[in-house]
Amino acid sequence: MILDLHLHSELSDDSRAPVEAYLKVLQRKRAERPLDGIVLTEHRQFDPARDYRALEDRYGFLILNAAEVETDYGHVLVYGVNPDILARFDFSDVRLSAQALVTDVARLGGIALPCHPGRATVGLCDHYARKPPLEGVVAVEALNGGSKKGEDARVEELVQRFGYKAYGGSDSHLVSFVGVCATEFDAPIRSMDDLVAQLRDGRYRPVDFRAR
Amino acid sequence: MPERLRFDDVEEGDELSARSFFLSKDQVRAYARAGGQWSPRFTDDEGARREGLPGMITPGNMSMGLLASFLEAWAGPGTLRRLGTTFRGLVLPDRTIRLCAAVTQKEDASRSVELDVWLESEEAERLVIGTATVALA
Amino acid sequence: MPLALDPAIIGREFDRTVEGPVTADELVAFARALGETRPEYTEAGPALVAHPTYCVRFRGGRFYPEELLKLIDVRSGFDAGKDIQLGAPVRPGDTIEVRSTVHEVYEKTGRTGSMVFVVIRYTLSNQRGEMLAIVDNRFMHR
Repeated sequence: MILDLHLHSELSDDSRAPVEAYLKVLQRKRAERPLDGIVLTEHRQFDPARDYRALEDRYGFLILNAAEVETDYGHVLVYGVNPDILARFDFSDVRLSAQALVTDVARLGGIALPCHPGRATVGLCDHYARKPPLEGVVAVEALNGGSKKGEDARVEELVQRFGYKAYGGSDSHLVSFVGVCATEFDAPIRSMDDLVAQLRDGRYRPVDFRAR
Repeated sequence: MPERLRFDDVEEGDELSARSFFLSKDQVRAYARAGGQWSPRFTDDEGARREGLPGMITPGNMSMGLLASFLEAWAGPGTLRRLGTTFRGLVLPDRTIRLCAAVTQKEDASRSVELDVWLESEEAERLVIGTATVALA
Repeated sequence: MPLALDPAIIGREFDRTVEGPVTADELVAFARALGETRPEYTEAGPALVAHPTYCVRFRGGRFYPEELLKLIDVRSGFDAGKDIQLGAPVRPGDTIEVRSTVHEVYEKTGRTGSMVFVVIRYTLSNQRGEMLAIVDNRFMHR
């Protein structure tokens, strides 16, 4: 099962991608980017009312909702957002406590994973250079489709040193780049509960479709 | 009357042939003057460095203008209806840049198409990204 | 709302300025600086019109309203992007009325650190009242 775990629709302030247009690209590029679905990680927001089931039925892809939030250790993707998590954290706050986020999201049934850790200022690598490491991090984004040269390479050392699992995502803000990086799971995923369980305990790896 | 690309001749997923060219400092200065942006960051390396920049940079407006021209070279003059861009990285002059676009949606009612557009460096780093609406014949 | 701003600032017109008249020489110089060779944009005459992005050079008489100028050093700003919707083409002799409003203010973090974004909407029309362009300009301040 291959999912793009990190992308933004037009709901994110700097993206211009309608969700349906993403699915059309995945349909057209199935041979080069054989994805089964996408996880929308909108910037600093989560709307529990968003429902993409009609698009799922029409195009045959799994569409899940998550969020990308901003913390004192850089950006973090939050999967399994529920009312308890929304009550605990204000996603519009650009100075969330990363440790509180990782710990409490897990306690409340979700999972919070640092993204683009090699990116300057908003990635974990820069913060670990001068602050204690976070407790409870399960995985980091080892492949990000929006990374500049060298940013993803910094993550290898992080993964080795702390034993983190690795995942991938396109970080797409444009329709054309959906699925260029993704995550391959050994087990099937049919819901956000499945995804959270697999991210926490399952087997998966980042996959790179950029060369194709 | 200049040719306008026909709506029926375009498919979702069509990729425009990328345009690569050398963007010179002289051209950037000419734009800065004509575009009312004559300031050190766009005209003078030393002046730009005093502002904390690595050297003179290309105005975002100019990147937009180049993308607009690129789209109209494909679709025909006067076809651009909307262009939205995000400036993600500094476009440094005296380097080769590449303009790219792909058709993402066709709108039958208005006979217009939506495109992804982007400007990338020689290292394929996307420095300017955006979308556009172009009205076809 | 970041920067302790009154939300009432959003959508309120803070400047209205008339610029021009635009000259053929200005339009041609602009288009040529972009490498344009099309006669519609580069040859003076009755058919000459402005390059479609010519509208982005108009930013009214004031950069920001007074309330924002007290909180932000405009010299610290960078252009973060813009969206233009195009209407009638600009022609030589046109005068251009530019109406400026604060469209949005928000905060985010990126490679260069914490930033405040101010989106100014410029609505441009000519002397005949025709809409020329609506430009949403995002400025980034660190």
